[in-house]
Amino acid sequence: MFEESKNSPGSVKVPWYGYAALLFAILFFSGLLTKQQGPITALDFNTINGTFGTMKDTAKATFQGQGGIGARDGFLFALTLFPAVMLALGVVEIVDHLGGLKAGQKLLTPVLKPLLGIPGIAGLALVSSLQSTDAGASMTRMLKESGTITEREKTIFAAFQFSAGGTITNFLSTGAALFAMCTVPIALPLALIFILKFFGANLMRIYLGKVDKEGI
Amino acid sequence: MTQRTLADVFVDGARKGWNVGVNSILPNVLMAYVLIQILRVTGLLTIMGNVFGPVMAVFGLPGQAIAVLIGAWLSMGGGVGVAASLFASKVLTATHATILLPAIFLMGSQVQYMGRLLGTAGVQSRYYPVMFGICILNACIAMIIMRFFA
Repeated sequence: MFEESKNSPGSVKVPWYGYAALLFAILFFSGLLTKQQGPITALDFNTINGTFGTMKDTAKATFQGQGGIGARDGFLFALTLFPAVMLALGVVEIVDHLGGLKAGQKLLTPVLKPLLGIPGIAGLALVSSLQSTDAGASMTRMLKESGTITEREKTIFAAFQFSAGGTITNFLSTGAALFAMCTVPIALPLALIFILKFFGANLMRIYLGKVDKEGI
Repeated sequence: MTQRTLADVFVDGARKGWNVGVNSILPNVLMAYVLIQILRVTGLLTIMGNVFGPVMAVFGLPGQAIAVLIGAWLSMGGGVGVAASLFASKVLTATHATILLPAIFLMGSQVQYMGRLLGTAGVQSRYYPVMFGICILNACIAMIIMRFFA
């Protein structure tokens, strides 16, 4: 059995507004409200992110201009991403501040063992790894060095983190460049990423169990 | 909870977003646009399109989309930048970009993360090939699934 620590599921205190914040975040980034009308659209990322103004021909002449190529075009294009990234990380910071990420950890902990074969105490490292690849990696190492997880569990956990590392932060910041072109609600590719992260980790689990029996 | 107002917290997050933009997105996107410009003027983009056409067709993508995956492998921002650049030059459609979106992340930044993640966590190097293989397989599965939704 694992010792109770301040990160164990039983001792994580999540206020009610933590869950509310998590629910809000899911709704805000899901794109489900993009096509709605009226005040409710204030809860939608794409609506709040808004649009740039246009110059003359509203169909094609944005501030980025038309027909640009090379480094100059890339620079202007990258600038168009800044508002989306700043908005997304601003909202994530509020959700974190209100305990939304702790709520995520609490909800995730009971499913870690069946889904990944790693103990629930890795929950905080898992949630952290979704925000920062480096934080997840260093916390994983600490879990191993303190003897909380085994070499085998560490390897499976690393396989989970390695595919789409820093998932939430990278998807919401870097991925924002492609959101405007995305033909489906952005929650769908994000959900698929999560499912395949678990799938990949379980492939590693199978590999270690069947192919690499002698190893660890 | 601290005394910071939600406005303060938002501004802190937005500042992080600015730093991500300046330090990560802008240089990566600019690099990707430069790379695509080089591939375009040298004619290599067309050649890549022809060579990888049959493979990428499995995923409902034109051959040039391989550049997005290679870019993503080096850095997620690079992959996104290449996709955006190819979209701007009408090589990729919105549907193509949607198919590529999850794949860019699932196999993204592996070259960097080999050191930053696997190295930091202390994963035994003999598992690296399996780790890389799983990520690329994940990306392929994602593209096949996204074909049905995009």
